Amino acid sequence: MIVAKRKPFNEIKELISGSKKILILGCGTCVAVCLAGGEKEVAILASQLKMALGLVNEDVEIDELTIERQCDREFIEEISTKVNVDDYDLILSTACGAGVQLLSDVFDHKVVVPALNTTFIGVAEGPGMWTERCRSCSDCVLADTGGICPVTICAKGLVNGPCGGTRHGKCEIDPEKDCAWTLIYNRLKKLGRLNRMEQALPPKRYSVQQYPAKIVHEAYRRRYE
Amino acid sequence: MGDCHFLEGNLRAKERVEYTKKLLNEIGLGEGRLEMFHIGASDAPLFAEAVEIMTNRAKELGPNPLKCGAEKAEAA
Repeated sequence: MIVAKRKPFNEIKELISGSKKILILGCGTCVAVCLAGGEKEVAILASQLKMALGLVNEDVEIDELTIERQCDREFIEEISTKVNVDDYDLILSTACGAGVQLLSDVFDHKVVVPALNTTFIGVAEGPGMWTERCRSCSDCVLADTGGICPVTICAKGLVNGPCGGTRHGKCEIDPEKDCAWTLIYNRLKKLGRLNRMEQALPPKRYSVQQYPAKIVHEAYRRRYE
Repeated sequence: MGDCHFLEGNLRAKERVEYTKKLLNEIGLGEGRLEMFHIGASDAPLFAEAVEIMTNRAKELGPNPLKCGAEKAEAA
């Protein structure tokens, strides 16, 4: 999932300054799971803003709404059935960067600002903790590396390792961080697939990455031609 | 600490209270109006002490500035 973190409160306050009526729009998918931008976080942010602005006698009306996903037009279109977007001076979105952009596309006559900093694609390690696992490189090598991504976990992104900087299973860049290639070695050993490390992987095909990337499913090609 | 009927529930509550204090500091209201005390169910003197601490603190801090604003608006 996409993992994000709320922007500092003062930065958010600055982003909304001058607006008299604001809609805080939450996203009920990834950012809800990582406790950054779901219904509950929208409620907390709304309460904080109302109190902070109340303390300086600023009269700002703040409404809250959370939809299932902001990265999908189908769900964004639902917003208009619940509120009149034209009533608001500004939409403060607690979605990831993708959601904020699609929202801006759909309501291109409205100012849409982000309340979060989108950080990485990762997994939940436990309640309240997430770690990065994927750089979305478009050329997955996990089959050869025991399901551990060297592009993400190795500080140098090496697809053939370890380098000379591995120290007792830790990385020379940061002794707190695990050496990705020690993890990969141990995993492959456990799987009885250490022979995978005997052959060097070909150089990473960075050319397959597009910026910005785009995928059209074969079965839907006609409608986008 | 941690010796809770809900196992580590009081430790979790402590973390949440600390987080809420941070939220209150961010908005400029300050964390003083919120406090968590660890008191055993049978420890009445400690409870009385906590009540006294919070009563004195509330007097020191004065009325909630947010409520003062609302009252002024109503009066006007």
